[in-house]
Amino acid sequence: MKKKFLIILLILSCATFMGLKIKLDNIPRKTVPGSSFIYIPSGKFLKYATFGYSSLMADLIYVWSIQYFSDQKIPNRFDYLDHVFSIIAELDPRYFDPYQIGAIFAVYDARDFETCEKILNRGLEKNPGEWIFPFQAGHYAQMLLKDYKIAQKYFKKTMEIEGSPAMAKRLYANAAFEQTDYKTAMRNWVEVYQMAEAESDERVRKIAANHIYRTQASIDIESINEGLNKYKEQFGHYPEELSKLAASGFLAEIPRDLDGNEYKYDPETGEVKSELWWKR
Amino acid sequence: MGNALKITGLFKSFKSEFLRKNIEILKGISLSVEEGEIFGYLGPNGAGKTTTLKCILGLIFPDKGEIEILGLPYLSLKAKARIGFLPENPYFYDYLTASEFLRFYCQLHQIKKADIEEKTSTLLSLVGLEKSSSLQLRKFSKGMLQRIGLAQALLNEPELVLLDEPLGGLDPLGRKEIRDIIVRLKEEGKTVFLSSHILQDIEMVCDRVAIIVSGQIINQGRLHDLISQKILFTETTISGIKEEELKKYGECVSSYGGRTLIKITDEKKVEKILELVHTKKAKIHSLVPRTESLEDLFVGTVKQE
Amino acid sequence: MKITAIALNTFKEAIRDRILYLLLFFAVVSLIFSRLLAILAVGDRVKIIMDVGLASLSLFGALMAILMGTSLVFKEIDKKTIYTLLSKPIHRYQFLLGKFFGLILTLLVMLFFMSLIFIVIVLLHSGRIEWGMFAALAFIFLELCLITAVAMFFSCISSPILSSVFSLSFYLIGHLSWGLETLINKIKPGFGKTIVQVLYTLIPDLENFNFKTEIVHHLPVPPQVFLYATIYGIMYTLFVLTAAMLVFRKRDFV
Repeated sequence: MKKKFLIILLILSCATFMGLKIKLDNIPRKTVPGSSFIYIPSGKFLKYATFGYSSLMADLIYVWSIQYFSDQKIPNRFDYLDHVFSIIAELDPRYFDPYQIGAIFAVYDARDFETCEKILNRGLEKNPGEWIFPFQAGHYAQMLLKDYKIAQKYFKKTMEIEGSPAMAKRLYANAAFEQTDYKTAMRNWVEVYQMAEAESDERVRKIAANHIYRTQASIDIESINEGLNKYKEQFGHYPEELSKLAASGFLAEIPRDLDGNEYKYDPETGEVKSELWWKR
Repeated sequence: MGNALKITGLFKSFKSEFLRKNIEILKGISLSVEEGEIFGYLGPNGAGKTTTLKCILGLIFPDKGEIEILGLPYLSLKAKARIGFLPENPYFYDYLTASEFLRFYCQLHQIKKADIEEKTSTLLSLVGLEKSSSLQLRKFSKGMLQRIGLAQALLNEPELVLLDEPLGGLDPLGRKEIRDIIVRLKEEGKTVFLSSHILQDIEMVCDRVAIIVSGQIINQGRLHDLISQKILFTETTISGIKEEELKKYGECVSSYGGRTLIKITDEKKVEKILELVHTKKAKIHSLVPRTESLEDLFVGTVKQE
Repeated sequence: MKITAIALNTFKEAIRDRILYLLLFFAVVSLIFSRLLAILAVGDRVKIIMDVGLASLSLFGALMAILMGTSLVFKEIDKKTIYTLLSKPIHRYQFLLGKFFGLILTLLVMLFFMSLIFIVIVLLHSGRIEWGMFAALAFIFLELCLITAVAMFFSCISSPILSSVFSLSFYLIGHLSWGLETLINKIKPGFGKTIVQVLYTLIPDLENFNFKTEIVHHLPVPPQVFLYATIYGIMYTLFVLTAAMLVFRKRDFV
């Protein structure tokens, strides 16, 4: 074949396929968003399949997962959230970011605290010394779910880990308080106070003092209210003054707040209030 | 008669990979082969024989020079359709049988389907392989491969047959058979170009010869012209005359059981010694004149270079 | 026709190559393996089998194409069978084309058997035949033709090992070229961007032959895509073959 002919053929075929490629690129191909998810093997299997490059695989999957879970066009994209992050955990258990990001996806975007819990628990399970995981769980439970029972559980877990911040205890105490478990709350706030005093940490000491005040106030108000209700039951109305309550024997003694002041009482509504505890 | 093959001023050099030097293999080869003759192409290893052949066949492209086959441009398909080639140490497809192989090559020559069967069987019997037609080529011995190679070279009844070491690896009987085929080709009017270094066979078969050494043709012409007919020396075995007497005529090579072997260079002295034998009533057991052989010419020429 | 004779001869030679059967064995193993994978997975099982199955066919087919294509011309030169062949009245390009068609015929046969096993496995698992699979298989074959041409081209210019490496790289680049597309969007417009764009259009886009996602999910494919992709494949193959012919023309067979 003549050289010229071949060269012309070369150029023509090249031009044609290049043109076709441009054309093909412009035709949008229907993809099923999230179709890469058709099958996800278990993490253990993947670990063997990746021939020792498991941490690299973890990185790749992690990076991919961020894109994937951020893509709002994918329907039901959180169905396999836990599964994916469990795979990453299996491949590289000491990689901390995925646990936290997974938890964020779960709790903020998917509004699925259970999954968030699962992910963070897995993180703790594989990294027993990392207090951040239960701490975040408690944080999310408290901030988003407003479920203090769960929060308290996690703050307790956090406290048990060496090196956890002192704040964990305070949050624990507060969670107890929010559940009206004043005994636990008080006990813990007192411990915090004593520790703060020992360390001459003025700021924390003040916080603790305020909380102790508050807790005590709550305890007191609770008992006052008990008395008030009994009074009302009997007499059909609230007493004009708290002293009347003491006199009638429904309450042994009218407590005063920790500053020595009387609690404010509104006879119309029967409401008892203390000083604003954080303004002390 | 025209030229079956004509080469003019062929040059070819190769670039050595490591040294980046140009190695000149062919330094201006010119030769011509007349139609109907057997042409011998001789040379030591590495002289450029095979390179020349590859240039002729278009396997290698020369740097300079012209080649004509049967008056046609050498690369044209028309020219290729009229030649046959047998390479050195031929090797063919393992998995094919002898007849399948020949059939395939027939198809390449566009021989009509109807004729293929006949052709293959004729050729197989020509080269003595009719019994092996269904045998796979990988089971062929070297000699058998040589023969099937010759068969494929003759498929298209070529006018010019190019053979590279066709007698290599054959036993004496095989060599005789191939030599006979080559002679028969000449009788059929074909031209044979024979590249070899088995001198005796060339001597027996070729009409004209070219000797190539280090990429150049140093000697070319009719065999008879190149090799002089003069007698180099005569060897004779005589008994009944004492050695001291015989020494006058020539060199006493050996003596055993009363017989002496003498090498006589001077032709006149041969006559004299015959007279002596006659006079003394002695006995001559053998008398062998030795002429120059191709080997002598070859070795002498190569040594000069 | 001379090309046909060479093609058939090549086919006979290639089909006896034991390496092919080794790869076939592995392909079958991975098809069976896809069934195991289905069990380990979370999701629709038939889709897994189809996806893994098609991917195995594509991968092993590519390996066959590369192995055969690269050893082909080299073997002829190494064993000197090419000497007698080229001394016959044929053009060099006829030799090359004959080899090419012989090879793709071999691949067709191999692919046919692998596809048969694949379809049987899918049938056993889901009890139905997906017509889209045949389209996917057809495009796998087209891709293999292209890869064969590439392997042959490289085998004309270098040793089998290097050719295999280059061919494999071609295959990988062809499947990852979309990465370059993402990169292009991030480059500032200008000369550099144009160069990269030209490069992007030039390098093979083997993903054009990949319809697995659509088929596995029963998504519609606009018919022009099939047409353009087919022509793209044919043109690219022609391009590579022409390049091979150009290189082969003036090669010295020492």
